[in-house]
Amino acid sequence: MPPSSPAEPNSDGRQDPPPVPDRPADDAEADPTDAAEDAAATTLGAVREPQRLHPLTLLLRVGTSLPALVIILLPILRNPGSTENVTSLVLGALYGVFALPAILLQYWRFSYRITPKQIVIQSGVFNRKNRSIPIERVQNIQIERNLVARLFGIAKVKLETAGSTSTEGSLEYVHQDEARKIRQVVRSFQRDAEGSDAAAANADAEDAADRDTLLDMPLRRVLLSGAFRFSLLYLAVIFTVLELFNPEALVERVLRARGRMEWVSEIVFSHPALAILATVGAAIILGWLSGIGVHVARYYNFRLWLDGDKLRKRHGLFTVTEGTIPLDKVQALILRTNPFMRAFGWYELKVQTIGLDVEEQGHRVIAPFAGAERILELARQVRSVQLPESFTRVSRLTIRRRFIRYTAVLAALLLPAVYFWPAGWLHLGGVVLPWWGFGLVPFILGWAVLQYRNHMYASGEDGFYIRRGVLSHYLWILPVEKFHVFHATASIFQRRLGLKTLFVDTAGAATFEYPEVIDVPAAEADAQFDTLYRRFRRLYRGRVEAATGAPDTRLAPDERPHLPVDEAPE
Amino acid sequence: MSAPANATVADVAAGDAIRSLDPSIRAVWAIKMAAFSMFLFLPALFYDLTHLFSPDSWLPFGVLSGTVLVGGVLYCVAWPRLRYRAWGFVLRPEELYMEHGVLQHVRTIVPLRRIQHVDVSQDLIEREFALGRLVVHTAGSRSSDVVIPGLPLSEAETIRDKIKRFILEDPLTEEPV
Repeated sequence: MPPSSPAEPNSDGRQDPPPVPDRPADDAEADPTDAAEDAAATTLGAVREPQRLHPLTLLLRVGTSLPALVIILLPILRNPGSTENVTSLVLGALYGVFALPAILLQYWRFSYRITPKQIVIQSGVFNRKNRSIPIERVQNIQIERNLVARLFGIAKVKLETAGSTSTEGSLEYVHQDEARKIRQVVRSFQRDAEGSDAAAANADAEDAADRDTLLDMPLRRVLLSGAFRFSLLYLAVIFTVLELFNPEALVERVLRARGRMEWVSEIVFSHPALAILATVGAAIILGWLSGIGVHVARYYNFRLWLDGDKLRKRHGLFTVTEGTIPLDKVQALILRTNPFMRAFGWYELKVQTIGLDVEEQGHRVIAPFAGAERILELARQVRSVQLPESFTRVSRLTIRRRFIRYTAVLAALLLPAVYFWPAGWLHLGGVVLPWWGFGLVPFILGWAVLQYRNHMYASGEDGFYIRRGVLSHYLWILPVEKFHVFHATASIFQRRLGLKTLFVDTAGAATFEYPEVIDVPAAEADAQFDTLYRRFRRLYRGRVEAATGAPDTRLAPDERPHLPVDEAPE
Repeated sequence: MSAPANATVADVAAGDAIRSLDPSIRAVWAIKMAAFSMFLFLPALFYDLTHLFSPDSWLPFGVLSGTVLVGGVLYCVAWPRLRYRAWGFVLRPEELYMEHGVLQHVRTIVPLRRIQHVDVSQDLIEREFALGRLVVHTAGSRSSDVVIPGLPLSEAETIRDKIKRFILEDPLTEEPV
């Protein structure tokens, strides 16, 4: 049943950029949708005929499914000739019967086409999916090429839109020239839709756009930036190695090498403190080295440039990623640094977007590592940023609140341990060990003070600025026009001290580290709450007036969306 | 700033009077809380009954279930009132303002032009009381859905339509996000 024949004729037509139209025979009913569009579709590069993916996709998919086959056939590989192998043989046969044709069918039933109005992706073997993405909704076209894809000269194209939390459509894989062409075509359609033909004319040479390079990171700089990072990736590597090689054999080998390793084990047994120190030291060095490695792999050859009203970046050692960030879709700017980096004057700049790259959780790094001046310059390219001269600290009472809260948590952890500590276990200085955990209390105080000292805010005419964080210093810049929802909250404990927490929600804000101003004096918080909202309202009233030439009349008292019944109690 | 300084809190809180929810929402909450209390009370009662005649019973009969029962009743009686008293909202020309929360006081402003879509929903108990819940969806991450419970259904629908009209008639044709 694998209809392998239609896959063949495709293989030739795909390589060159102007794709030869060939349509899967079964999609005929879905095609004559936009007859009116067809006239316009003669504009350059419109791909009205459904296209298949690059045939090498088949090979790659089979390749990625091979590990499953190996696992199935593992018993046979281990002890060939055993009678218990029948099941895995049957499974292997089933794999051959189902998995391979499934891959083939999936490939055969997948098609995409690009019209001036939309991108249509059809997929699914039994469950047909016909997904159309309006061109003007496409926010980001990301081209990803991992090592294998680069070897074969193919690329993965990810289409991202606002409003969806994940990648909207993914073409995996197409020829790399095709990928570049898709992006160019979609761009030019978007520009046509906006009506700026002049821009379209000169922007076709966009891949050669060296002129507007904003940030270039030579290898030395990437290595340097990696030196400030830390990664625990090496743990994964160690565990993988242990998985692959039998740990017992490894220990055996070490023991057999005892003659040479004698002095090591002697030291370990005679000075346990030294051994612990050495382990910690090794862990730190490994973490540091793997931090550099990860960083170089990710940001090798980092380049950021401005392309009209979009930021574009390209980076990566093994997997080369190319992405686009429309400037007006930037919801917030995030400057990040850590104490070491700050000591040497280095910063990282991220932008908060919505519906874009999921792996970066809506935060996209546009400058992994640069000096303060450079970072601010970049930030100004994205938005007009007027970094305020002075920030306002939150209330000093926050130290007290944090200290009490963290101490309470510590006590809640330690007291049960004290209570249930078995009599025979370790005692130190006449009391059970957990009591000594309260030795952390001074450090908690220090931590709370540090948190207070690093937490401040400023509200300017153009935005709201929040600084926060001890180990990672963050500076959020929230532009007024991207404010979404305003919150001022006071917990029961905050109310006793007359404090409030202020939070302006933005689209795509992280749920873990987010720009919240905790423990502002209540009156100040309420005033700030009103000020921020009033700035937002004034901005949009101004825009409405500029757009229509008159103030928004719907705001007149009789036009207001009043509640229907006003006889409600109170 | 254009607005006078003394209008800070007043400006955002003034205008139309802050409205309460429909009083019958207290009954709805009480029923839901009673169900929850029952959920705790029944296991406690079961424990008490099974240990009724055991000599080494940890507590005298009825202490556990009694505590749970008294706590549950207090919860069902007091909490809806507190919560009702804390709730207030008002729909203004350009924004939805609300304040709520018993332990955690929350003041929220949702600008109408930031609303992506509006729903009115209703569960089984609310249907008995002809109440509806207005659910406002925004693109904000933590406040992606803002809920006003306990509105008379027709009123919730009217508010929904008004908000919808505001969004549809917005002279700014830019994308919402």
